[in-house]
Amino acid sequence: MISDTILNVVDLHKKYGDSIALDGVSFRVRKGETKVIIGPNGSGKTTLLKCLNLLVKPDKGRIWLGNIEITDPRININKIRRKIGFVFQDFNLFHHLTVLNNVMIGLVKVRKLKKHQAYKKAVDALSTVGLDNTLYYKYPAQLSGGQKQRVAIARALAMDPVIMLYDEPTSSLDPQFVNEVLQVIRKLAKNGVTSIIVTHQIDFALEIADEIIVMHKGRIIESGRPTELLSNPQNILTKKILIRNFRTLR
Amino acid sequence: MDFWSNFLINLVQGLTTTLQILVISIPLSIITGFILGFARVYGNKIIFYISTGISTTFRGLPLIVTLLILFFGLADLKIYLSPFWASILGFTLCGGSYISEYVKGAIQSIEQGQAEAARALGMNKLQEIIYIILPQTLIRALPGVSNEIIYMIQYSSLSFVIGVKEIFSVAKTFNSLYFRSIEIFTTVAFVYLLLIAIATLVFKIIENKLKIT
Amino acid sequence: MNYISLIEYLPYIFEGLLWSLALVLGGLGIGFTIGLPIGTMITYSDKYTKFILNVYIWIFRSTPLIVLLFLFYWGVFPNIGLKLSPLITSIIVLGLRSGAYQSEIFRGALESIDEGQILAAYSLGMSKIQAIISITIPQALRISIPSLSNEYAILLKDSAICFTIGVLEVLTRARIVSIATGIALIPYLIAGIILMMMTYIGLKFFHTVYKKTVIPGLIEGI
Repeated sequence: MISDTILNVVDLHKKYGDSIALDGVSFRVRKGETKVIIGPNGSGKTTLLKCLNLLVKPDKGRIWLGNIEITDPRININKIRRKIGFVFQDFNLFHHLTVLNNVMIGLVKVRKLKKHQAYKKAVDALSTVGLDNTLYYKYPAQLSGGQKQRVAIARALAMDPVIMLYDEPTSSLDPQFVNEVLQVIRKLAKNGVTSIIVTHQIDFALEIADEIIVMHKGRIIESGRPTELLSNPQNILTKKILIRNFRTLR
Repeated sequence: MDFWSNFLINLVQGLTTTLQILVISIPLSIITGFILGFARVYGNKIIFYISTGISTTFRGLPLIVTLLILFFGLADLKIYLSPFWASILGFTLCGGSYISEYVKGAIQSIEQGQAEAARALGMNKLQEIIYIILPQTLIRALPGVSNEIIYMIQYSSLSFVIGVKEIFSVAKTFNSLYFRSIEIFTTVAFVYLLLIAIATLVFKIIENKLKIT
Repeated sequence: MNYISLIEYLPYIFEGLLWSLALVLGGLGIGFTIGLPIGTMITYSDKYTKFILNVYIWIFRSTPLIVLLFLFYWGVFPNIGLKLSPLITSIIVLGLRSGAYQSEIFRGALESIDEGQILAAYSLGMSKIQAIISITIPQALRISIPSLSNEYAILLKDSAICFTIGVLEVLTRARIVSIATGIALIPYLIAGIILMMMTYIGLKFFHTVYKKTVIPGLIEGI
């Protein structure tokens, strides 16, 4: 195994009843890499991402985070999940907690930090995502969609994850808020935070990705650097997805 | 005669009385509930205050207090009701008041959207109420009404305090004669559970039949 | 009939207020202690546990209070060698019954909290129990306040039923006064008014708590 591989996914399978969500997916993520997964709705992107921190249990296949196999049934999954930052499409902030407490709760309850240490880390994370400090004592329902998603990113980031997973982070946002969230994700990726991003924002994917994975019907049909995929797409579907969106990019 | 056959025979007699009370007061309280409910939404000022006053009072008073007032209290004013009819009056007023809440809620939820539509068809207020509002209210208020009727089955046990010989009063009498409290009251509890299970089932069936999809 | 002595008896009826309050608060407290864990277990546990707990809920919700009171006062407690006063018996029975109702309240509230928040808690590395305790229960408690205030009003009315086993609450005292003076209407009306006032004050209190615990910006369909 290449020494800087941080995530290694081997032959994942997942079925919901009769419908196949994942049909033998394998890939690797290197430290500091930004991987973007694209594909039509129902292609298994979100299922794949949720398998990576076992919010969804794969039926078959193995996943290593560093040198720990997280699909090993003996493993304490809560210990693993705290090292994996997960950003949901619908933010899933805790309604009853202030912005600051949303970010602190994982640090206090899971990592058992002292209040003042947690506070410091939370403030760090919140300023990294560029959230104005006048918002720290607001509740989620008082924020715009873009602010909510940035808080959600800060909540994940504060835990010092070894990898960040973003599940369609801008899909629930009104158009005017998309950019502020993408900017945060871009900034983190540039700073070397290992990331996997599921998105429909093809232009953003092409810009930010070290590698793009194209999924269809639970399989990876193509993957490669953005420039490779653009200049020489092997699969007709890849071509469709990329070309349609590339036009809008220009 | 041994305890059980004696007890069960009397229990059946008590059950008959309980059922008589329920069979009379359930329809009466549904009718009262609808009248009060419609009066609270459509009545003029005076009717509104009277109907709201009745509903608030009998929802606020514990049923047991209502029964004692109707039977013992009214006697002070030379109004003498039999225990049986005092119970029926009490259940009707109490049940009707609660049901009127559900009816009122149902009417208001329908009024919001469909009153204008009815008006657009050229219906007058009365036609709107009879043809549009009432039929839907019957359906929408049903879950609340069935809930209320299940409560009435339970609380019918209270009429023993004014001397109605219903099922619970039979149990109480036998308890003071035989002191076999656990058997006696478990049996009575079982009868009530059975009545309520049957009522619940019946309402489920009605609700499914009436479901508008 | 003696209206003069009726006035002298008024404070006696009013003192019953403390007993009524003890019944209601005791019942509400025991009901909460039973209802929150059971509601939580029903929401999050396997179907066998669910079934057993639902049986408890169904029995205590569907049996008339008065039957339960007599069953426990004359049957269950003496049979297991417990000599409990009418007041204590009543508080326990009201509590057991309210527990069944409150389980349903908390189950409903917990189920109304979107699953996404639980997934988010898991993704931070929280265990199921941690997620339930720090994320869903605090929100469920607040959502439950209107239903709990309703439960308070019901308990207050039910507390009057405890007069049948001789708890010296408002209604029992009204009855004693009625027998002593030969006047029924006025004492029972007074008892009724006292209980209605207690309902009103209690509901105001719950409403204040609900307002105080409002989560800014969150619109709820209650």
